[in-house]
Amino acid sequence: MKEIILRGLEQAYENMVHMIAEFLPRIVVMFIILSLGWLIALLFKYMVRAIIRLTKLDRLSEESGASQVLRKAALPPISELLSRAFFWVTWLAFALVGISVLDIPVLHEQISRLFQLLPELFVAILILFVGVLVANFLSRAALLGAVNAGYRSPRLWSGTVRFVIWILTVTMALEQIGLAKGTVIAAFSIFFGAAMLALAISFGIGGRDLARQFLERHFGDKHQQEGEKEQEPSPL
Amino acid sequence: MEISLAEETFIDDNFLRQLMSVGEVDLLVAIPSHNNANTIGQTVKTIEESFQQNFVRERVVIVNADGGSRDGTSDVVLNTPTPRNPNSRGLSSLRTLHRITTRYANQPSQGAAFRSILAAADLLRAKACAVISPESSNFNATWLKNLLQPAYREGFDFVAPLYSRHKNDGLLARNLIYPMGRAAFGKRIRELNSTELGFSGRLSSHCLNLDVWHEETVRTSPEAWMAITAISSGLRCCQSFVGPKVHSVTSSGTDIVKAVRQTVGSLFWCLESQQSFWMERAGSEAVPTFGPEHELTSEPVRVNRKRIFELFLGGAAELSDILKSILAADTHAELQQIATEDERNFRYKDELWVRTLCEFAASYHRAAIDRGHLIQALVPLYRGRIYSFLQEHYDSSPEDIEASSENLCLEFERQRPYLIERWKAK
Repeated sequence: MKEIILRGLEQAYENMVHMIAEFLPRIVVMFIILSLGWLIALLFKYMVRAIIRLTKLDRLSEESGASQVLRKAALPPISELLSRAFFWVTWLAFALVGISVLDIPVLHEQISRLFQLLPELFVAILILFVGVLVANFLSRAALLGAVNAGYRSPRLWSGTVRFVIWILTVTMALEQIGLAKGTVIAAFSIFFGAAMLALAISFGIGGRDLARQFLERHFGDKHQQEGEKEQEPSPL
Repeated sequence: MEISLAEETFIDDNFLRQLMSVGEVDLLVAIPSHNNANTIGQTVKTIEESFQQNFVRERVVIVNADGGSRDGTSDVVLNTPTPRNPNSRGLSSLRTLHRITTRYANQPSQGAAFRSILAAADLLRAKACAVISPESSNFNATWLKNLLQPAYREGFDFVAPLYSRHKNDGLLARNLIYPMGRAAFGKRIRELNSTELGFSGRLSSHCLNLDVWHEETVRTSPEAWMAITAISSGLRCCQSFVGPKVHSVTSSGTDIVKAVRQTVGSLFWCLESQQSFWMERAGSEAVPTFGPEHELTSEPVRVNRKRIFELFLGGAAELSDILKSILAADTHAELQQIATEDERNFRYKDELWVRTLCEFAASYHRAAIDRGHLIQALVPLYRGRIYSFLQEHYDSSPEDIEASSENLCLEFERQRPYLIERWKAK
């Protein structure tokens, strides 16, 4: 009996040693891949930063209002953001390759699924980024236009423009990564339709006078309007 | 005849044929147009009257550069009968009065119109040229004489018009374009951005050869750019009094947003593109002036000051975040502080106004936000300034207003180092 136990323990020990002997080189390889990946990712980071500086993307980002958005969101400047993103994406890719070297079947399957999702994730992030830029630019244009035309509640106009573009962007991004595809599209359609209907009803009922004034201003008798209009001094 | 066809691609064959049939000319008068059939006939008649009265022996041509009119503007130009001159003593019958038209595009663009006009002047080797707006309802024969004479007989390259105006008219020019242009570029030209102007053949050839015609600013509003190019190229500039300025009903003279976008955008762009010229120099000098330098009238007109003030207040409050990214912290704070004042005590003082503009120009230079948005953000502040001006000069005499304008110009010149400092700051 004692002998059987000892043999069993010996067998288990041998198996463990064998497993460790087999696993240890893989761990070492994984660490090598991780370290190498870290170095390459760092190199990428500096390269991206240099390219951005050369192409003056920072200035473009300032002009388009992207930098302002990033500042508002307490994010670093675009050169830093993109270089950091490149660093982490590169290092993550190496990390996934490193983990797959361990040859654990369950992990392997998850990693391959993650790899398949990466391009879509990239595109979704890009959609979100461009959406934020466009929303910011157009909402500012709406704000300036509304303020200079003397409309009431200019922030409401600007906020509506921003909100609609954000909703559209988020919907597109979620659809891109395939998250609850049907639900997202249905929710967006319902929301957008409802918003338009609400606007139409509220403008129709609440804004009859405003609509009449608007139509008169744009399509009415010009001479009559000249008489009615209170003058602002000619700038030129 | 030496013909420079460097820019032939934008001149169509028909226009070129018409130009070649004209040959060389002494004087060229151009009318940029877009749907001006109602007024352009009178403009053509007046131009020909001026030729008959003042330029009897000169070879002359009228060029109409049209931006896709649908009301037969070009036909009116060609078919308007030549006025008979009872005092001509038969001299005018010995020459042909040429009229040619070209459609430079199907959409109006003042820059494209000017480019065609300058190309025509270059090809016809015109000695002096004038551009006349068909919207100037009180244009007369003397205007044209006063715009052409200095370039044709006195050797000036750029002739800016001087108008008789109501004291509340042309406030953008009085409060911004003139003083800032004067402080930056050093010449006291009051109307940098006028729809009427005169120039020499030399200036037209010089401008035509510059690689700027694709620039948005030059495409929309080339007048100030042309004046500033003449100044920065060391060409001879002068001013010539033409008469009262009356805005026609169809003109966009009272569209403040459009006017600010075009004129201030043009001035800031010139500051950007000519920085090597203006940063080197200091002070300002008068330019030769034909006729009175200024003439103001002060008959009562109805101005809705309350509305202007409300638009300023609304802008200062709603655009606070945008203004914060354009202005220095203390300027922004001061602006917000004056916006809290009672409308009767409200004053947008010269010092603060000039500082505001220096910071706007510097922010334009470093593109703190989109440049179009930046110019639009200036509109409410301009309204604040004109409200202050109207309050301050409600009862002022023309002399008082002139003195006040001169003080503003001096304030701009005093703050010039601040503009340069902000301009150079990263």
